[in-house]
Amino acid sequence: MKPTVFVVDDDAAVRDSLRMLLKSVGLPVEVFESGQEFLDADRDDRPGCLVLDIRMPGMSGLELQIKLNERHSILPIIFITGHGDVPMAVEAMQAGAVDFIQKPFRDQDLLDRINQALDKDAGSRRMLAERNMIRKRLESLTPREREVLDLVVAGKANKVIAGDLNLSQRTVEIHRARVMEKMEAHSLAHLVRMVLEVEREDE
Amino acid sequence: MRGEASSDREFRALLDAAVDAIVVIDHRGTIEEFSLAAQRMFGYTAEEMIGHNVNLLMPEPYRSEHDGYLERYATTRITRIIGVGREILSRRKDGTVFPCELAVGQVPDLEPPRYIGFIRDLTRHKEAEEQLRRSEAELRLAQGLANLGNYVVHPRGDGPDYFSVQLYRILDVPLSGPDVTREEFFEKWVHPADRARVAEAFQRLDSGGAQLDIEYQVVLRDGRIRYLHHIAQAVREDGGRVLKHVGTIHDITDRRHAEDEARQLQDRLTHFSRLSTMGEMAAGLAHEINQPLSAIATYAQACQRLLRRPEHDGADVVEALDQINAQALRAGEVIRRLRNFVKNREVKREWVNCERLLDDLRTLAETDARLHSVHLRIDAQKDLPAVHADPIQLQQVVLNLVRNAIDATIGCPEDRREIVLMTRRSAEGEIQITVADQGGGLAPGAAEHLFNPFFTTKSSGTGLGLAISRSIIRAHGGRLWHTPNGQFGACFHFTLPASPATKGE
Repeated sequence: MKPTVFVVDDDAAVRDSLRMLLKSVGLPVEVFESGQEFLDADRDDRPGCLVLDIRMPGMSGLELQIKLNERHSILPIIFITGHGDVPMAVEAMQAGAVDFIQKPFRDQDLLDRINQALDKDAGSRRMLAERNMIRKRLESLTPREREVLDLVVAGKANKVIAGDLNLSQRTVEIHRARVMEKMEAHSLAHLVRMVLEVEREDE
Repeated sequence: MRGEASSDREFRALLDAAVDAIVVIDHRGTIEEFSLAAQRMFGYTAEEMIGHNVNLLMPEPYRSEHDGYLERYATTRITRIIGVGREILSRRKDGTVFPCELAVGQVPDLEPPRYIGFIRDLTRHKEAEEQLRRSEAELRLAQGLANLGNYVVHPRGDGPDYFSVQLYRILDVPLSGPDVTREEFFEKWVHPADRARVAEAFQRLDSGGAQLDIEYQVVLRDGRIRYLHHIAQAVREDGGRVLKHVGTIHDITDRRHAEDEARQLQDRLTHFSRLSTMGEMAAGLAHEINQPLSAIATYAQACQRLLRRPEHDGADVVEALDQINAQALRAGEVIRRLRNFVKNREVKREWVNCERLLDDLRTLAETDARLHSVHLRIDAQKDLPAVHADPIQLQQVVLNLVRNAIDATIGCPEDRREIVLMTRRSAEGEIQITVADQGGGLAPGAAEHLFNPFFTTKSSGTGLGLAISRSIIRAHGGRLWHTPNGQFGACFHFTLPASPATKGE
């Protein structure tokens, strides 16, 4: 799915001018006039980024950001701020926004930020996809194979694992080979990195 | 002898029947006759007085001087009192002194001479005179204090006209000068700007109107201007014919000047309050102007990019240019409304269309709302009649109420951050404007001080907003009050008298 730039701004002119600018550089764009409209459209799990006006009547930009965080959305947010909105911008950054830009802005500044955000989104999505893949591979392990994996990752030698699990060293070697195969690990280091990656995420 | 006795009895009867006191004395002043009326008047019996000197009936210093008068007359025959009569003071038996009128006659051809005195008690008469004099003086004083003159005029010239002294003073007319006719008054006194109005009011009175009640200006001989409140009424005969006009003219110049000064002060304060409101809204307004500027910049940049593309779509560029135009006008409009709002200007009433009013107000009000993530909903009844008002002052009132509502709403959950601005026509036919919020509502102690100047619950704020708003609405003939808004928040309402006919712009 092609990444889309989502624009949420209550001001029709600002919204429309952004739509036209992004269209002129060939970026797919969708515009929304309120935070609620964007939430209702369920676009937050789509690839792309969100260009969000920080000040809006009703749900403010910051409140939409909080709602998206609650939904575990990873959509990168670029806030559009006015003069004197620096404290709000700081708050937005602390809540995970990738960037903010003060209006009126130079188009290239905005496009640069959008491109960075899209890159970040693509990276995040790749990482997410990888984690999902790792999880799937982990799920394909038998309970015994999982036990062997955990001890391998803990740095124990086959002989120690055999003793711990009350198995023969040969049996441990067979399980270990199956684990490497199912996890599609190139090396022991690769295997460890994959497991740590998922465990860090689960913490 | 018999004839003498009979004439003596007749004389005595005459003496005692007279209402005036009669006293007969000889040339030395010794009393020979003392009539019944004299006995009543002085409190002496005839027996007590006959044979005594008449000067007993006089207070000092006349008592001591009286013998001298008699002697002088006896030798010079130059009279000071005989046949003349004059007001003198007399003394009763109990010592009280009273005014009386004395006429003295001399019995002819008698030597030594005898005199007859007729004495009339003037006490009551004097009292009445004094009372009249006093009440006239009091009236004059009162008129002077109140700066109010009165008059009575007989339009057909069939009675004496009267103009009080204060009236001469108010109009600066010399007391001794000739009377001023109505035509002269119109021409020489009434201010040219008011002349037609005054003439019309008099015409109504002449043609059977109940009362004349009018305020106008006059120009005095030295060019000074006075404000008068003139009330007049026709007094009719039984037949309905106008007998006379009675009227009062009240010099209200001082009051008018005080009112003018108070109004000017109020205007200055009102303007000051608008300025400080704008000061507080500066951040939001900068934002509001920034919006169209931002859109213009983005449209222009989009145009540049579109035009650089070999296969660019002309329609897109035209649309962007249209928008650039519209947004530039929008920015100008924000500035225009802002300037109108803060301009120090004459208060001017005109017919204001409610929808137009809300439209002009929307930009300023929404600015603040947006700044605080508050939603402003406008719920305007269609086809409301126009109101006669100063549009800027009305905007000031509504903006003030909206800003208060926003302040009350900050920090509330999102579903309560809505302010409704509502216009309705009330059952009484007035226009009612309501600003309703769902904020924290009024603190219990705050309500009673709400309209006091300098009362504020905010850390920044002049405390003038509501006080000024209320005085603006009162000056427009309306009311401003508040009610709770259901479970949360407050409603502020005000009314304005609507035009009798729908007279929109």
